[in-house]
Amino acid sequence: MTRTVLITGAGGVGKTTVAAALAVKAARGGMRTLVVTVDPARRLATALGVEELGNEPQPHVDEPELWAAMLDASASWRAVATRHADPEVAARLADNEFFRAASEHFPASQSYAAADQAATFVQAQAWDLVIVDTPPSGGGIDFFAAPAQMADLVGGRLLRWITGGPLPGRRAFYNLAAKPVLRIADSVLGSDLLERVAEFLLDLRTTYDGVAQRGREIERVLASATVFVVTTSDPAPVREAIKFYRELPGLAVSPAAVIFNRILPEGWAEATAPPGTSVVLEQNLARWAAETLRQRDTREEFSSRYGAHIATIRWSPTPPTDLDGLARLLDDSSDLPWEAVGMRAG
Amino acid sequence: MLEKRFLLVSGKGGAGRSAVTAGLALLGQRRGLRVLAMEMGSPGGLSAHFGTGPLEFEPMEVRPGLHAMQMVRSDALLEYLALQLGIKGITRFGPFARAFDALATTAPGIREIITIGKAIWEVREDRWDVVIADAPPTGQLGSFLRAPVTISELVPSGRIRTQAETMQEMLRDPSLTELVVVSLPEELPVTETEETLAWLAKEDLVAPPTVIANRVLDELTDPDTPPGPVGEAARLHRSLWSEQQVWLKRLPPDHKLPYLHGVFTPGEVAARMADEFETIT
Repeated sequence: MTRTVLITGAGGVGKTTVAAALAVKAARGGMRTLVVTVDPARRLATALGVEELGNEPQPHVDEPELWAAMLDASASWRAVATRHADPEVAARLADNEFFRAASEHFPASQSYAAADQAATFVQAQAWDLVIVDTPPSGGGIDFFAAPAQMADLVGGRLLRWITGGPLPGRRAFYNLAAKPVLRIADSVLGSDLLERVAEFLLDLRTTYDGVAQRGREIERVLASATVFVVTTSDPAPVREAIKFYRELPGLAVSPAAVIFNRILPEGWAEATAPPGTSVVLEQNLARWAAETLRQRDTREEFSSRYGAHIATIRWSPTPPTDLDGLARLLDDSSDLPWEAVGMRAG
Repeated sequence: MLEKRFLLVSGKGGAGRSAVTAGLALLGQRRGLRVLAMEMGSPGGLSAHFGTGPLEFEPMEVRPGLHAMQMVRSDALLEYLALQLGIKGITRFGPFARAFDALATTAPGIREIITIGKAIWEVREDRWDVVIADAPPTGQLGSFLRAPVTISELVPSGRIRTQAETMQEMLRDPSLTELVVVSLPEELPVTETEETLAWLAKEDLVAPPTVIANRVLDELTDPDTPPGPVGEAARLHRSLWSEQQVWLKRLPPDHKLPYLHGVFTPGEVAARMADEFETIT
């Protein structure tokens, strides 16, 4: 049975690093572990050995139980067309300008691609643990909503909106512009743009059954996963983390922990400089103490307001560049729910 | 920066875009300018910095002389149709609005052109001396700035195309528009900013941007490391500082904003940003 861990949160909080660090710990603890990342920093990619890799998981040269894969969202979107449409329609979709735009613009598309790929790895049952570093879109919430949104997109909701009623057959479609509403649109856009879009959506709709079924499979995988939300103590990522307590209940998965990254030592909050300390160093301690206090207040408020399990990871000034560095990062952590990822504490 | 009529503030997510937007808006207000601050993306950041409740599409006065608004695409579209095209009687939930929503999800450039169109409409209004927009993050900046070109390619004729061409000229006019890119002296933000700058230079869609590095630490002038928290704090500060130097050297910014230690509320952050801008612009 493969255990799944989803690492979510806003961009720039160190999600990928936390995912990688957990993976190294698990692999060194004897679990066959796959870490799936999206767009890692170069030094981290080097540490994981995924610099030149694509969607295919590869074992690490120095750590045989550690596997890594990097996600390519655009490739996964093309796969939606080839997997779920007739070859002729799939080819037409693949070089359709609207298909490219929808895959770029549809807010959930990168998240869908990532969720689809991650679910594939979990279903392969080739690893004890699959750790997924999710795309930051929507603070990570999009990842959970993506399968349903995707089915909705191809299911014809947009098409019905354009036609303003029941779905027409392909032939009836060309008379659409006779409708007053669409005449206005034509005059604004100065072309048959709406018709071209609707025709594309008719093609896309043929993938509906496949996408809807796959969406339900993906949702089952996500629902059985352990979720960690990573944040710093800054207001913007904390706002995103709060969404998991306000919006996620509807999506069935409750986070096992909120991991506050880049945490300063608690003791600094009350520390004062001994007599004889230079003014420069005294002021330096005072400002970092103020920062420590702010971090603590942020955590306490989060925990009391949302009842979340809070874990912390110490601020490491230089990002880890190798497997040992990644493992050390979690030696400086506290209250991580190790048992949720199948490991013993420490 | 405040000599321009239109400031677009972008940057990597989490670098402090909203704080910089709010800081610049407060500085403009202190200097007696009539300012409109505009949240283009999802709500939350800008209103927190001004300490108001949720912003609305209709600009509200958040300080004397400083207005703020939230972009709402469906409202912007209706306003565009009514004011610029003279098409009245369309409601937010009517069939036209829904059809347009479908288009905005599917056709490239549509959703962006409505957002930029609204901003540029306000820039041309005599009501404001400067419009400062909390623009999409650098990851989405490409499709955003390219929208007028995309529309021109997609739509061979018609009124929306004519207007797209006007927008393109205004974005490119360096006496009118300035793009501000907010970055952090860390690996990923610097890499993303470099990619954005290279792309911008190639595409020539907007005048060369101003780069701001946020959360920059100063150098500790005392090299001592005594035992206890004093020394630990000094050691952390020094290693963060030298890590930052690597990235500041790689991408020298036009302006630096300091790390704000222990500043609690977004309102305080915005006020401190405005103080800093006072010294550099």
